[in-house]
This record gives sequence, C-alpha cells and structure tokens, in this order.
Amino acid sequence: MVKKTLHLVLALLTAALVAGTALAQQGGGTLTFAYSEEPDTLDPQRTTTAVTGLIMRYAGDTILTKDLTGAYADGLAEAWEASDGGLTWTFTLKPGVTFHDGTPLDAEAVRASIQRALAPETQSPIAGSLFAPVTDIEVVDARTFRITLETPFAPFLDNLTDPRGAIVQAAAAAEMGTEFGRRPVTSGPWRIAAWESGERIVLERNDAYAWGPSYTRADAPSIGRIEFRIVPEAATRVAAFEAGEAQVVTPFPVTDVPRFLGDDRFQMVSFLRKGVGRFMELNVLVAPFDDVRVRRALNHAVDASIMVDVVLEGRGIQAYGVLPPSIWGYWEGMEDYAPKYDPETALALLAEAGWTRDGSGPLRKDGEALTFTLLSPPFDDAVRTAQIAQQQFAEIGIDMTIETIEFGTLLARVKEGTHQANLMGYTYTNPDIVHLWFHSSNIGTGLAHSHFDSPELDALIERSRTETDDDARLATYAEIQRFISDQALWVPFWINDNYIGTNASLVGAVVHPDGFLLLNDATLD
Amino acid sequence: MFPFLLRRLIAAVPVLFGVSLLAFSMTHLTPGDPVTIMLGERATAEDVTRLRTELGLDRPLPVQYGTFLVRALRGDLGTSLRSGQPVAREIADRVGATAALTFAAMGVAVVVGVLLGTLAAIQRSPLVDAIIMSVALVGISMPTFWSGLLLILLFALTLGWFPITASGGAGLVLPAVTLGLPAAAVLARLTRSALLEVLGQDFIRTAKSKGVAATGIVARHALRNALIPVVTIVGLQFGNLMAGSVIVESVFARAGIGRFAVNAIMARDLPQVQGIVLFAGVVYVGVNALVDLVYAAIDPRIGVK
Repeated sequence: MVKKTLHLVLALLTAALVAGTALAQQGGGTLTFAYSEEPDTLDPQRTTTAVTGLIMRYAGDTILTKDLTGAYADGLAEAWEASDGGLTWTFTLKPGVTFHDGTPLDAEAVRASIQRALAPETQSPIAGSLFAPVTDIEVVDARTFRITLETPFAPFLDNLTDPRGAIVQAAAAAEMGTEFGRRPVTSGPWRIAAWESGERIVLERNDAYAWGPSYTRADAPSIGRIEFRIVPEAATRVAAFEAGEAQVVTPFPVTDVPRFLGDDRFQMVSFLRKGVGRFMELNVLVAPFDDVRVRRALNHAVDASIMVDVVLEGRGIQAYGVLPPSIWGYWEGMEDYAPKYDPETALALLAEAGWTRDGSGPLRKDGEALTFTLLSPPFDDAVRTAQIAQQQFAEIGIDMTIETIEFGTLLARVKEGTHQANLMGYTYTNPDIVHLWFHSSNIGTGLAHSHFDSPELDALIERSRTETDDDARLATYAEIQRFISDQALWVPFWINDNYIGTNASLVGAVVHPDGFLLLNDATLD
Repeated sequence: MFPFLLRRLIAAVPVLFGVSLLAFSMTHLTPGDPVTIMLGERATAEDVTRLRTELGLDRPLPVQYGTFLVRALRGDLGTSLRSGQPVAREIADRVGATAALTFAAMGVAVVVGVLLGTLAAIQRSPLVDAIIMSVALVGISMPTFWSGLLLILLFALTLGWFPITASGGAGLVLPAVTLGLPAAAVLARLTRSALLEVLGQDFIRTAKSKGVAATGIVARHALRNALIPVVTIVGLQFGNLMAGSVIVESVFARAGIGRFAVNAIMARDLPQVQGIVLFAGVVYVGVNALVDLVYAAIDPRIGVK
C-alpha cells in the first residue's frame, strides 16, 4: 500500500516535472507595453519616431549590436574587421539567417537593404543618414560583404547598432510599396503580426530564430507575444500598469515613481539618461556672450545641485560638461575640471570684463545693465530650471528674461544666431554628438547654436571621427570636453535618471545600456 | 420633405467650402515647419529643400489648395506625410471607434439627463431638487480629462469593475460615461425647466381633474411636450460630443478620430489635419441637417417650409 502510494506520488511528481519543463520551454504569454506614441511607419528606413526604433529592437536585427557593457558585439554579423585605416570594413554574416518571409538574409540582402536606405526615392530621414558615409558595398561571397566609407569614420560602427539601421527585405519592400510600413519584413526574434491603427501593434515570436547575439540565448525567446498598446495619456499608462493591463511602461513618468518603489508587485529600474537633460547654450556672436569671461562667469554663478533637488527631486545628477557619464567617451576628470559654483569668482570675472555693481544692485558697464534673454522650450522641467537659474543670476546682479516659445520656432531662431542664450537637452548613443553641437559645419544647419567657429575645435572633432584606436579616441574626446569647458560655450545643468516600470511577472528582462529592455532571455510567470 | 432636404444640402455647400478653406489656411499659417519636424535634428538644409519639393510644399499656396480641393471632391484626401498612407483610409480605420463612443455617450446623456431632470421637476422636496441640480452643475463644470481619471481611479483601479484601455464593450463604459456626463447635466437642467413649465399649464390641470394618475400625467402628457426643446439640444450636443472625444479618446487610449487629430496637429501632418477637419465639418453639417428634419417632424407647428 505504502509502496503503491509512493509510486503514485513519484509518477505525479514526474508528470508535474515534465509538464513544468515543457511549459518553461514553450513559454509564451503576452507582454504588453503601454507606450505614449503611435509609430508613423514601422519601416525602420522611413520612420522618424522613437517608438519604431524601440519596436525594431524586438522585430529587427542590426548588423552589429552592443553588449551589456556597451561594447560592440555580434548582430547579424559574427565577425568584422577594419582595413585601410578604417576606410573599409569586412563583415561575415552568421549562417542560416532568414527574413520573416523565409527568404535568406545573405550578403546580397544586406547590400540591397543598405542601398534602399540610401536611395533618394526612399526619403529616409534617419536610416539614410546612418548609412550616409557608405560609398560602396561589395558582396564577397554569400556570407561576406565589404563596406567602403567616404573617409575613415569611427562612429560608423555605432550607426550599425541603431535599430533604424535594421536590415529589411528590400525585394518585399519594393513589392509592397507603402504597405511595407504596416507590415515590414525583417529578421528579429519577434515579427510584426498586426497593427490596429491607434490601438496596438502586435508582435509574435519568430520560432525560426536561431541567431541571437552572443550575450543572449541564440534561439527563439520564451515570450510568445509582445503588444505595444498606444496610450497617449501618462496618467492612463500608469493606471493600466497598476491594474495589470500593461506589464511595461517605458519611460515611466518620474513623478509616479515613488508610489511604486517598495511595492513588490512592480519593479522600477532606473538608468542615467544618455545625454545631458538641460543645459544653456550661449551664442558667442552676440553681446554679452562674445566675451568668454562673461560666459565663464555664468558657469560660476549657477549651483545646479539645487536644480537636481528641486526639478528632478533628486532623481539625477549634476552635469559638468557636454557628455554624460552614460556615454562612452565621457572624461572622468570633468567634474573636477569644470567651473565650480562660486559667486565671488563670477563677480571677479565680470569685473575683469568691465561689469561692476553698487552693493547688491545690477551689474553695469558704461551705464548699461547686464541683461539677456533666454529662449526656453515650453516644457515644465525647462521652465523650472530656467527660473532657478534666473534667481541665481539675479543674486549677482544679472537680469535674465525667460522667453518661452514653441520648440520648432525656438530651433529656427537659434539656428539664425540672433538670439543670446537658449535652453536645450539631448539624448544620443555615442560621443559623436559633439560634431552636431560644435563642428562649424553645423552652424546654421545642425545644432551648433553657440555659433562658435574655431578651426582648432573643428580639427579636434574631425580627429575623434577618424581615429580608430579606442584609447586615442578617448584622449581626443577628453581634450574636446576640456576645450568646450574652457570656452564656456554651455552652462551644463543636469542629467536625469530614466525609469522603466515592469510588472513582477516579467522575469529575466535586462536593461540594455542603450536604455531599452532586453527580452530575449525573459519569461512571463 | 424632399425640397427641404435639398435646400439644406445646397446650403451646406458654401459652408463646406468655407470649412475646407479654413482647414487649409489654418495648417499653413500656424508656426512649425512639417519638414523640419519630420527630418529631426540631423537634417541638413539640402535634406529640407529636397523633401519639401518631393512633398509639393514648395508650390504656391493657391495651387496647393486647388489640388487639395479637386482631390477631396473625388474622395481622395491625399497621403499622410508621416505614414505614407492614404488619409481617407486612415480616417475610415478610426471612424468606428469614435462613432461607438459618441453614440454610447449620447445614450448615457439622454437616459441620465431625462431621468434626473424629470425627478427634479416632479418631486416636491426642495432639498432633492437642490441636490440633483448641484450634481448637474458639477457635471457641467468638471473637465473630462479630470473626471475621466477619477472614474478610472474609482471603477477600474479601486473596484476593478471595468478595464481601462480595452476596446470592446466593457471598455466603452467608462469613456462613454465620462463623455456623456456633461451632456447629461445640460439635458437634466433643460428637462427640469421644460417639464416644470408644461406641468403648470391648463391641460395638465384638466387631466388631473379628469382623474388621470400622476405618473400618467407626467409620462403621457407632460414629458412628451417637454421633450421638444430637449430633442433640439440633443442634436446640438452631438457636435460637442464629437469635439469632446478628442480628450476622452486620449485619456482612455481609444483609437478614434479625435486622438488622430491631436497627433496629426502635433506632427504638422498637413494632409491629415486637412482631411480630419474637412471630415468633421461634413459630419457636423450632416448631423445638423438631420436635427432640423427630426425637429420639423416632431413639432408640426414648425413645418417644413
């Protein structure tokens, strides 16, 4: 009797174990994201929206990826090599890769995809510029292709990891026309199954997947479906998250974070923004900022730690230079090197420049008061940051007026270069952002709103792009950061923490250094 | 009836022409360049010029307007700048969700409004009357983005009765109530005053003296007469509900025309904005013509002249 019972228990246990293993293997379940915006198009080569980039992290594959330390790692290519001093790059693809329609993703397919991104009729806003340095793609054999660049361009590898650079089935794109934007054919671990306008985008697992990057499982993931539910209202996203209708909210509204911390039904993961959240740009063409001493004085006059406390409620750090610690290329010595909060030094520099004050009155030079106008975008954090700066400037006799204008208009005005100062923020994946902000070729067209035209700085930035040795590049970037700090082209304020909220039922998801949830190894309880 | 309908339709033509002209000029006069917004920060001056030419935005405004009008007459509202999809199809994809929401909200408004208004008019306690009318005042005054979130908090998060972002029948309840409540409040006040007026008239006294039961008087005699102005207002409220769907669809993440309009404006997607405004104009004019017809049918004194 006892023996019989024991057998029965054992049999049941075995059955349960087998069933459990089978379940774990099969996985499944639906993971729902509540996301603020709907894509313009899901064609990675035609999109301008961030959400398409996010979806392509799951539905698409890029030639290279970045691993969890932020270093370049395998993607569709398992090996890559530079020659001719970084002018040509040879890539070897992983074997047996197929698109979601079953056609092979070989060297020829990669060439067709890149050529489509570059073709003028594609009108590619972002992917086109990612591949812009490419002059030639040569197919060596089925798994090998060679890319020739216009000039050696170190950030190019980074472009290859951008999800908007995901390889698409160009033949299908040509055949489907604009419909390709609704149902793109790519090769990622999930594929686009449906797009219900205004409602949701549904991804289903690609069971044929077997080419995951080396830092994740290679084969198809456990999660069977991913849904992007489009929820424009932040409060509703949070409510849907709290009610369990959505398991992921990214980015999670910072003001709601404290309510969920310590609640074991949810997880809040944070990472430092890859970019400087708010900084002031000073236009060197216009008085009073044509004088570097005035620009430096402003840097000494602001205590940005107050902004971190008040505007960010402590969720972030003070910024000291043009790069954040979260972007490769950040110089560790920046915090010590940057001008410190010190009103006395600020006043001394201003006195040197001819600006003096009676007691606590306004600063004057030749009878004229030291005033300027700051253009601020109409975002809450920007306006509050500007107000704190305004108060601190007022303490040493500088009268700053805040003009809040619509962002598009602000951009147009600062490109013209007749303004005095403006507030900005940025997010980027690599240090080549300094080209966009400071290279003289970007004055009037790009983001060089300081209108600072210096051959010396241009040369440094160009060197950072052509050097292929990482240590040499790091040294160049350190030099660039010091140079810009010396010239005080910016008054850096703060870098915020970003949050992703996940339901506790999501296990094994990892925050990638580029700020998204890596789900290849994740499961749903 | 037919000549009346025809006259209403002919009268709508200049109105729609005006709507199309307004829709077109509004989108071109507001600041913010669609091309720079589309291309983002990396755009060079050449990129901007190239895309502008490709999209036909470099042609003179009257030419652009003419093309827009001729195409619209053929039911072609152009192609979205952002998605590359035909705007008419994008609107068709979303019109169902907005129609469902508007009609459901209308249902809520009529049922709740007429019931509360009648209750306030017939019962004799000034306290109950005051309570109902203050509730109605709050209903009118509360903005829907606020009342919607309160309803989510109570009925979805705390009580768990309704889903927040589902698109099916259960998901329609909270948005319909949110959108319908202000209209219900308007109808309640109107029903109350109309009913009080009718109840004071001679034929009601006659009915009473004949011995008709109180409920019969209200239901059969008074309410019927009181509802004539109410029907008119219901028709006018339809336009308000459509406008209100802009906010309610955003709060409840519903895929309708209202939210589509907001996104289109934010992205400066000119063909989308023009298409939506024109479409909304047509619907509005159509609904108003319909209300005129119903109104004339209910009250023979107005007549179809």
